[in-house]
Amino acid sequence: MSKLKTVDLTFGAVFVCLMAIGANITVWFPVLAVPIGGATVPVSLQTFFAILAGLMLGRKLGSLSMIVYTLVGVAGVPVFANLQAGPMALATPTGGFIISFICVAFIVGWIADFAKKPSIAMYTFAALIGLIVNYGIGVSFLYLSMNTWLELSITYSLAWKGMIPFLIKDGALACLAAVFMISFAKRVPYAFRTARTSTNG
Amino acid sequence: MNNAFIIGQYVPGNSLVHRLDPRTKITVIFFFVFIVFFANSLASYSILTAFSLASMLTTRIPVRYILKGLTPVWFLIIFTFTLHIFVTKQGTVLVEIFNLKIYSGGVIQGFAISMRFFLLILVTSLLTLTTTPIEITDAIEDMLHPLKKIKFPVHELALMMSISLRFIPTLMQETDKISKAQASRGVDFKTGSIKDRVKAVVPLLVPLFVSAFKRAEELAMAMEARGYRGGEGRTKLRELKIMKLDIAIFILFAAVAAGLFLTRVY
Repeated sequence: MSKLKTVDLTFGAVFVCLMAIGANITVWFPVLAVPIGGATVPVSLQTFFAILAGLMLGRKLGSLSMIVYTLVGVAGVPVFANLQAGPMALATPTGGFIISFICVAFIVGWIADFAKKPSIAMYTFAALIGLIVNYGIGVSFLYLSMNTWLELSITYSLAWKGMIPFLIKDGALACLAAVFMISFAKRVPYAFRTARTSTNG
Repeated sequence: MNNAFIIGQYVPGNSLVHRLDPRTKITVIFFFVFIVFFANSLASYSILTAFSLASMLTTRIPVRYILKGLTPVWFLIIFTFTLHIFVTKQGTVLVEIFNLKIYSGGVIQGFAISMRFFLLILVTSLLTLTTTPIEITDAIEDMLHPLKKIKFPVHELALMMSISLRFIPTLMQETDKISKAQASRGVDFKTGSIKDRVKAVVPLLVPLFVSAFKRAEELAMAMEARGYRGGEGRTKLRELKIMKLDIAIFILFAAVAAGLFLTRVY
């Protein structure tokens, strides 16, 4: 791993804060809690932000930043969705999604590196692969935790079916992430350059 | 809300558990999570429950407060219990309501599994209730130290944790400010279809990112101006020390684990 500069550390750390805000965006926008089939599904922008971490910070710093996010949450700061915190958040069936963000940021950053200049097609592709990684790990963890810790024998397909509303929402947000990234890079070229070039050097 | 973010779940105190070295607590909890799964009899469950309740009471945090902190998982525990009651068909029939038969095996299994999950959650929540996030950060930095050999940036990781602990409340306030500022300029966050609502988040995110990255840049400059040069040869303000108390806890926990394995053997 190439040596991290001071500016990399602060960018990564600030991204953890952004991730915490994204996870709990409904605190500021209660209207974003979308009712789907009787239950209200609070829209969490975690996947969106994890993808952005990969796109903006690159694979190394992005995944490091997501590791920090996980650890800050484990340390008891309510940064996870629904203001949850503590090691117990990882023990619940949805804990796998939190762990998957590390891989999401790494893989998205890795794929985005193949694009020589900002390209919307490449970023969307990276974001969708990130989404697959996110749900692949998250749902597998859900399935495993249901079957091993709680000993509820559910089938793998049932675990996936329960996640469909979330998958649709995050799929739309993943595409938005690529669009947001491009427009953001145009508006704030300096921050974008610092974040991208300093880590990949 | 913002106060809750600054201190997290930590409840100040001076109990035995509060005074333990954070590394001790993390290690004990880590192994507790594993041994919980070895419990399979009434005796082993009693040992685990006694250990968990004893640790809970030693913290001197009001029990009601601790249980309230577990609210997000209560639903899961009850759900697991109920499902096991109806799915498991072993033992004698206890109650029969219409076509639903509740078997004694189901009640026992449901109780055992939800109890196991409850103990697991209870003990892990004690860590964050009695330890400040900063202490946990120090402990993580110290415990991950061996990873430095494979060039994993352990010091940088801990520093990033500290920085984000400092900035989470600040950026949350910033989000609040920006959303009010944008609302006063006429951005409609409240009505419209889901698509419109999601779109309304963009005028919030762009200024938020800009301000966050500006802060990050300023902070990096300030750090370098004060001579920050990475982790090499840095000394610490807070040193972690293993005390006699920590060793005593390790011995106690080893005894609990040994007792648990004995119940399995006999």
